[in-house]
Amino acid sequence: MPQVRIIAKNFMDMVASLPAIKLDRLYENAFICEAILRSLPPLAKKYVLQLLYIDAPVTASSLQEWVLVDGASKHRVAVDRLIQLRVFTETVDRKKEASYKLNSMFQMNLRKHIVHGGVLPREPMAANITVRLPSLEELDSYASQQWECFLLHLINSAEVEVTTKSISPSMMKVFQRGLLSQRDNEGPRLTESGFQFLLMDTNAQLWYIVREYISNSEDRGVDSADLISFLLELSFHVTGEAYNMNTLSDIQRTTVKDLADLGLIKLQQGRKDSWFIPTKLATNLSISLSDASSRKQGYVVVETNFRLYAYSTSKLHCEILRLFARVEYQLPNLIVGSITKENLYKAFSNGITADQASIILFLQQNAHPRVAERVPSVPENVTDQVRLWESDLNRVEMTPAHFFDDFPSRDVFEAACDFAREYSSLLWEDSKKMRLIVKTEIYAHMKDFLSHQK
Amino acid sequence: MTPVSSKQYADDVSLLMVLIDTNPLFWSSTTTPFSFSKFLSQVLSFLNSILLLNQLNQVVVIATGFNSCDYIYDSSLGHANQRAEALLQKLEEFVIKDEELNKEDSVDGIGSSLLSGSLSMALCYIQRVFRSGSLHPQPRILCLHGSQDGPGQYVAIMNSIFSAQRSMVPIDSCVIGSQHSAFLQQASYITGGVYLKPQQLDGMFQYLTTVFATDLHSRSFLQLPKPVGVDFRASCFCHKNTIDMGYICSVCLSIFCKHHKKCSTCG
Repeated sequence: MPQVRIIAKNFMDMVASLPAIKLDRLYENAFICEAILRSLPPLAKKYVLQLLYIDAPVTASSLQEWVLVDGASKHRVAVDRLIQLRVFTETVDRKKEASYKLNSMFQMNLRKHIVHGGVLPREPMAANITVRLPSLEELDSYASQQWECFLLHLINSAEVEVTTKSISPSMMKVFQRGLLSQRDNEGPRLTESGFQFLLMDTNAQLWYIVREYISNSEDRGVDSADLISFLLELSFHVTGEAYNMNTLSDIQRTTVKDLADLGLIKLQQGRKDSWFIPTKLATNLSISLSDASSRKQGYVVVETNFRLYAYSTSKLHCEILRLFARVEYQLPNLIVGSITKENLYKAFSNGITADQASIILFLQQNAHPRVAERVPSVPENVTDQVRLWESDLNRVEMTPAHFFDDFPSRDVFEAACDFAREYSSLLWEDSKKMRLIVKTEIYAHMKDFLSHQK
Repeated sequence: MTPVSSKQYADDVSLLMVLIDTNPLFWSSTTTPFSFSKFLSQVLSFLNSILLLNQLNQVVVIATGFNSCDYIYDSSLGHANQRAEALLQKLEEFVIKDEELNKEDSVDGIGSSLLSGSLSMALCYIQRVFRSGSLHPQPRILCLHGSQDGPGQYVAIMNSIFSAQRSMVPIDSCVIGSQHSAFLQQASYITGGVYLKPQQLDGMFQYLTTVFATDLHSRSFLQLPKPVGVDFRASCFCHKNTIDMGYICSVCLSIFCKHHKKCSTCG
């Protein structure tokens, strides 16, 4: 679970974790500077703007003077972030006083932006060359359809190998890494994080996939810094405009094809040229999750009798519900199911949790607009029961342990107990019969300790 | 349980209404320390930097003329490139139109701009944004004002200030003229905005980015210029003079410089 939770945060964390040389090279691209600036906390943005036309280093103490006492913690967060992203370079002089200076490349690019205004990464194609561009609604529905298709693929390949749409198998492998596990004699199965993944909202899922895609890029012979810069550049394109494929490099062209499979981009072929049209998924890429304005309308109604009605025509929704509920019947625009103990047990054994991350949150986030207005959008008795069923399974906790007895003297026994307590690994002791149980982790230390005692 | 849609916009998304003083009498006067073009280039850079900070930020520019005022730029309408060109073209059209109006009938207040008009326009725009849906950026108004106060606009300006206060919109003011503006001092004081009269106008851009680019969320933990003293003097309703002491109608609170037997406002 932890690995899934981290990714939901930010794309920029990943950029910050790049090695210094690569990061410096990224700043040569003006769009990246812009995207990075926008991702910063508000206070950090202010600092960058204030220092933009100051060439000399500014001491930390004078920077601190801009802030009121209440803002000290925010100030520290902002400065740390700037240093982490190498936007600020820190120098410490002889008197141990730190001073900061803006990254010169970054500074130059932003100055240019401020004087000349924003520019588009590349010019859209003239309307007379492109035959017929899809409208924004068509593009949106194309994007969500493509994305759903990808998710369906993910679920289905866990059961049967179906090739409805052509997603290249090598890409599929990349995306499935970590989400699917392959055992020798069985087919691929969704892992714990795979189940969690399916219940996340689209934006979070997108981050996860893009992250996987980037971290895998080195294996495919693509520099991850190049890829990041291309993806960020992509987010500055205008949704729904056509851009010529000839303006791309070879690597970018293959990337574009992969992204088209995910619905980030729509490819079209004209008589002579071919072009790509970014969809909303692509242009939202650099917006951090907190601004997710693309929240979709919910469709699930849960009743107090554990019945579940989902107003949806999507096969994907049906499959997702099937992960934790019994689907009873399906009408053209309605899926009817019920939440049962058996199905939840199955879900829990697959690693889905009831609370924060998964089932209940999913039901709340996807609540039908009619019930979403109510204060608990999912009836309390249902949420409570789901939690109870989960805790039913966790009644016994297993801890690998080792058992010691036959101590030569009470002193040795007491010393051993204290030793184990120091490591907070003492699970049980019986001072009368001089027996104790410790966790496996410290078994080796314990043995050492006891042999020294003799 | 937290509702899902509790907060979808980040704290620092702002809608900035910039009111630019285009009064030709002010800009052509010899006391003006720098030229209009120099001023515009600094303001344009400032607008660019605001739009750079967040992709959801929005900037609207209103020109405050001598006889009229009008919207000359709205970042939500145009494309990102050719920002400056679009603005300058609109501005030129506006200045010409403003001049034509002057020939028809001259206004009594000499040398003052129509600040009350542009403030009301800004507030109207903000109200429209408020009503457009639950998701909206945090608005604020920035007055870049140079010409002297027109006492004749006293009532209209005070009314706009109070309506800004009611809708929690701070009015920031940056005075580029040689004298302090009592109207703007009061406006910023009442609405919780920042009032600043820059010492060195050559460094206008730095003043703008340091003080006026601060979003409302960050203002609570940054040191910003504090008001030194506010000129609270009012204008009388009868002759539009600024007065220290006067007579007030006990019913409608109208202010007069001389004693009247009957209030001219409420009768």
